[in-house]
Amino acid sequence: MTGNSRDDIALETLFAAGRSERPLPSGEFLERVVASADAGAARPAPAARPVVRFAWLGRVFAASGLSGAAALGVWIGFVMPEAMDALTLGGDETVALATFLPGTDLEAIFNE
Amino acid sequence: MEDNATLVAPHADEVPDSALLVAFANGDAQAGRQLVARLGPMLFGYAARVLGDQGEAEDVVQETMLRLWKMAPDWRQGEAKVSTWTYRVTMNLCTDRLRQRQARPQVALDSIVEPAADLATVVDLMSARQRSETLDAALAVLPDRQRQAVVMRHLEGFSNPEIAEIMDIGVEAVESLTARGKRALKKALYGKREELGFEDDRKQP
Repeated sequence: MTGNSRDDIALETLFAAGRSERPLPSGEFLERVVASADAGAARPAPAARPVVRFAWLGRVFAASGLSGAAALGVWIGFVMPEAMDALTLGGDETVALATFLPGTDLEAIFNE
Repeated sequence: MEDNATLVAPHADEVPDSALLVAFANGDAQAGRQLVARLGPMLFGYAARVLGDQGEAEDVVQETMLRLWKMAPDWRQGEAKVSTWTYRVTMNLCTDRLRQRQARPQVALDSIVEPAADLATVVDLMSARQRSETLDAALAVLPDRQRQAVVMRHLEGFSNPEIAEIMDIGVEAVESLTARGKRALKKALYGKREELGFEDDRKQP
């Protein structure tokens, strides 16, 4: 219809004016929003955490490896005492046990 | 901007919004500032049109951007467009505020008397500012969903599929909303014919 067509043209004229007269935010407001962005970006960067975690795990692995070796030695001495006798060159049980203790001076033991 | 190029006329080599958001999540404050410069005016324009109140529009946009900063570390590129996501948040916040308005003036559009004068003639005589103010006044009486769809389609320049994604409805539903919205706008404008000068216009020889 002609009337509707002219109404549509009028409406489109209003829309065009609305697009050109777009409401704009104030600079002060945008600065406030930017400040919120700055605050958000100031959070601690998460990238450092995996490195710290890895170093800590390395120390754990080193410590557990040492304990595992010590535990293995105790276990061998328990289940194979004859092997321990051979290792201690016929010495008594105290010497065989002391061989697996950290810090033992093996040379002093052999000289006994 | 990557997803609404007609609105902000970006350069072809402009960094996509999603890339800026990822950079922001990694501590790049400058990327956040760029996103504010891109999205802030767009979201504000939309919210101001829909709410008819610039102070409320500021609150809504501020809240939208705060939510964007909060979810930035979890943003997955390619799953959603930043502008679509922010428009959706802004739209929902506007909807919440409109629902909270208890005494919002609504015009019973069906009761408006049919036109007795030509709208196009009156609009032709208006200045650009008068046209924009007239449009705002007419938009204010539309049902909320129709107003949001009309603003996105005819003022923000979104396509119907984009509006469908933002509003989380089908394209046909968008077409229906905008069509009904335009009809309601015409009725609203004719309902304001006295304040718009229809009567005076008719009396002119």
